[in-house]
Amino acid sequence: MEIIFKNLTQSYEANSPLEGLGLDDVSLTIHDKRFTAIVGKTGSGKSTLVRHINALLKPTSGTILVGDREITPETNNKNLKPLRKNVGMVFQFPESQLFEDTVEKDIMFGPMNFGMSEADAKKSAHKMIELVGLGEEYLEKSPFDLSGGQMRRVAIAGVLASEPETIILDEPTAGLDPVGRKEIMDLFKNLQEQGRTIILITHNMDDVANYAEEMVVIHDAKVKAVGKPKDIFNDKSLLTDDILTLPRSAAFAQKLAEKNFSFPQLPITISELTTEIKRQVHGD
Amino acid sequence: MENIISIKDVTYTYPEAKRPAINGLSLDIYRNEWLSIVGKNGSGKSTLAKLIDGLIESETGSIIVDGQEVNEKNIWEIRSKIGIVFQNPDHQFVGATVEDDVAFGLENQGIPRDEMVKEVDAALKMVDMQDYKTRDPQSLSGGQKQRVAIAGVLATKPSIIIMDESTSMLDPNGRKTVLNLVKQLREEQNMTIISITHDIEETELSERIVILRDGEVVQKASPKTIYDMGHKLTNYGLEEPFSSQVAYLLKDELKLPEGYLNEEELIENIWKLSSKI
Amino acid sequence: MNKLIIGRYLPGDSIIYRLDPRGKFLITFYFIGIVFLANNVASYGFLLLFVLFAVYISKINLGFFIKGLRPMLWLILFTVLLQLFFTPSDNPMWHWGIFTLSTDGMRIAAYIFIRFVLIIFISTLLTLTTTPIEISDSIESILKPLKVIKFPVTQVALMLSIALRFVPLLIDETTKIMDAQRARGVDFGEGGIMQRIKSFVPILIPLFVSSFSIAYDLAIAMESRGYKDGEGRSKYRVLSWSKRDYMSLIVMLLITIILLFIRSY
Repeated sequence: MEIIFKNLTQSYEANSPLEGLGLDDVSLTIHDKRFTAIVGKTGSGKSTLVRHINALLKPTSGTILVGDREITPETNNKNLKPLRKNVGMVFQFPESQLFEDTVEKDIMFGPMNFGMSEADAKKSAHKMIELVGLGEEYLEKSPFDLSGGQMRRVAIAGVLASEPETIILDEPTAGLDPVGRKEIMDLFKNLQEQGRTIILITHNMDDVANYAEEMVVIHDAKVKAVGKPKDIFNDKSLLTDDILTLPRSAAFAQKLAEKNFSFPQLPITISELTTEIKRQVHGD
Repeated sequence: MENIISIKDVTYTYPEAKRPAINGLSLDIYRNEWLSIVGKNGSGKSTLAKLIDGLIESETGSIIVDGQEVNEKNIWEIRSKIGIVFQNPDHQFVGATVEDDVAFGLENQGIPRDEMVKEVDAALKMVDMQDYKTRDPQSLSGGQKQRVAIAGVLATKPSIIIMDESTSMLDPNGRKTVLNLVKQLREEQNMTIISITHDIEETELSERIVILRDGEVVQKASPKTIYDMGHKLTNYGLEEPFSSQVAYLLKDELKLPEGYLNEEELIENIWKLSSKI
Repeated sequence: MNKLIIGRYLPGDSIIYRLDPRGKFLITFYFIGIVFLANNVASYGFLLLFVLFAVYISKINLGFFIKGLRPMLWLILFTVLLQLFFTPSDNPMWHWGIFTLSTDGMRIAAYIFIRFVLIIFISTLLTLTTTPIEISDSIESILKPLKVIKFPVTQVALMLSIALRFVPLLIDETTKIMDAQRARGVDFGEGGIMQRIKSFVPILIPLFVSSFSIAYDLAIAMESRGYKDGEGRSKYRVLSWSKRDYMSLIVMLLITIILLFIRSY
C-alpha cells in the first residue's frame, strides 16, 4: 500500500495555552513494498508521524491516504479495523503489550480481533513463533516467564500474526544485544523481500544504511529530507547542521579522506567501504 | 594490584528460575580500574551488580567490597561506597526536581542541610547540569536524565561506580554525552568504574573486559586481547569492533599486520599501503 | 487526560507562586469554607472580585481557570437547573407541573453557579501555582503533630511524593499500552457493557505488570542509594515562612471581617 501524507499538521492541545506542533505541514509519500527508514532526533516527531498511518492519531489538518483509505480530521473511530489489520505496528519495548496467560493466546489476540477464525489464528501463531526464532514449545508458556528478549519476540509475533501488509517498527531493537538486534532486523528485511512494506524508526544509522532503500529525515516536526540513504548521507547541509549522524562506514571513509583517499560519494555500508579501499589502494 | 572487590564462588538463582543466573562465579576487581562487563541479554551481568551492592543475597561464596564482607551488618556502609546508575532513566528518579533527586542519597545519610546544598551544587556542576537544578526530571532528555542520575550517585562520594547498561536506552547523542562524562570522571576522580554494556565500542577505554555467559566468567583480559577474538565474539552476543570487521574484509587483498588494530591504527596501515604504490 | 486543568502545575512566577505552599494550602481550604457564608449579591460579588483579583496577580491567563470548569460542567449545569426550576416560591413567574420558575429560584441558581466558580477557581489557583511536591511537603508539615501518635508521617509523605512523580509516567504508559492494543484491533467504548469491560483487560494487565516492574526498579534504586525506612534522614527541601505569608493570612482575616459585615448588612 502506498502511503501519502498531504499537508498534514498535528497540533497537540489545540486551542489551549499549552498548544504545540507535533507535525508541521508534512507532505510525504512512502512507497509500496519498500523499506523506508525514518530518522530524526528524540522528540522531532517521528513517532507522531507513524501513528497517523493506522489512525491512532488523526490530523489536525491535512489528510493521509493509506492505500485507498483516506483519513481526515473528520474521520471517526468506526470502521478502522480493516485499516489497522493492514498496518501492523511494533512499538518501542513492545513486550509491555503482552497480557494473555499463554504465548499462543497472546499471539492469537490481534488476528482474532480482526476477525480471523480461531483455527486460522492458531495456525498463524504456530507459524509466527517459528518465524521470530522461538520454537513451538514456547506457545504453552506464560509470556511473563520469558526473558526480556524472548518477550520482545513474542510481541513481534503477535503483530505479524494478523499478516499486515505494512509493518511499522518504532525502534524495535532498543535494549537488545547486538546479535539479537541483527536477527530481528534480518527478520524484517526478509518480510519486506516477501512483499511487505516496512517503515522503521531508528537512531541507528548503520541499520538505515544496511537495510533501508528510502529514508526520511524529520527535524523540528517537519520533513527535512527524503531520498535514498546514500544520497541523504552525502548531503553536507544535513551533516553540518547536526541533524543527522553518519553510519560508521561513512565516518571511517571521512577519516581516510583526511589522508590521501578521496571519496566522490561516501560509502555507507561496510562492503562498499572495503571495495572502495581496495580499489584505491590498488590504484585502478 | 590491590583488589577493591573480591567475588568468590558466588551463586544466585532467581525464585522460580530453573537455572542459576550467577553460577559459581569468582572475579577480582582492582582498585581504580575501569572494568567492562559484557555478555548476552540474560548472561547475568545486572544480577552481578545487584549482588555486589547487596541488593540481592548470594546463596554461596562471598563478596568482599573494600575490605568488608557484603552481609546484613555491613550493607549500609557498603552501599555508601558504591553508586549504581541503572538502565531506565525514568525508573530511578525519586525527587520531583533535579536538585531534590541529587539530594536523595545525602538525605538518606542524614547530612545537614547546609552541607547538602553545597554537595548538590558541586555534583550538578560535575555533570554540567547546574542550569537544570529546579527542572522536573520528566522534562529532560534521556542523556540529561542519566547525567542527573550520575550526579545523584556522585554526591555521596562513592569509591565505586557501577553503570548498569546506563546508556542502552539513550539515543546516540545522549549516549555520547554520558560516555564523555564517564571518561572525564575517570580522569578527574579516583574511582573504580564497572560498566555493564552490550556495546563493544563502549568498552574501548576500559582496562579490562570480562565476558559473562550463563552466569559464568568465560573470558577476562585487556580489550586488545578480547577484540582479537574477532568473529568469535558473536558467540557471546557481542559485535566485533568495527575496525576488525573492516580489517577482516580487507585481508584477502591487503597485507595488514596480524592482531587487533583500532580505527586509527587501521587507517594508518591502509594509508601506508596506498602510499607505497 | 490532557484536558484536566485541576491538579496540574503550570510553571510560572508571581507573588502567588512565591507564597509558602502551607499557607496557600490552608488559605484555599479556609476560603472554600467562607464561600458558604456569602448570602447576598454584595457578598458573592465581593468574593468573586477577590478571586478575580487573585487570578490577576497570579499572572496566569484566565482561560486556564475557565477550562478548569469544564470537567465539572455537567454537575454545575445539573445543580443550577435543579435550583432554577425546583425552588419553591409563593409568586412564581411560570409554573408547569412540578416545575416552578421564580425570581427566588433564579437568584439561588446564580448564587450556586458563582459558588462553583469560586471554589473551582481558587483550587485551580492552588494547583496551578504549587508543584505537587510542595503540596505533599505541606501535607507532611501539617500532619507533623500526628507523629506523637506514631503515625508514619515522613514515610507517608515520601510515598505521596513518589506517587505524584509517577502519575505522568503511568499516564504515558497507559497511553502507550492503549495504542499498542488499538493497533492490535481493540475497540474501546464499542459494543455492550460486557464487551467494554472485556476490552480493558488488555490494558489493565500490562499496566499492572509495568507498574510492578517500575516499583521494583525504583525500590532497588532507592535502596542502592541508601534509603532505609525514613528515619534518620535529613531534609533537603525546606519550607520558609516569610513576611508575605503573614500578609496573606492578614488579607484572609480582612476578607472574613468584610464578608461578615456585608453579610449582615
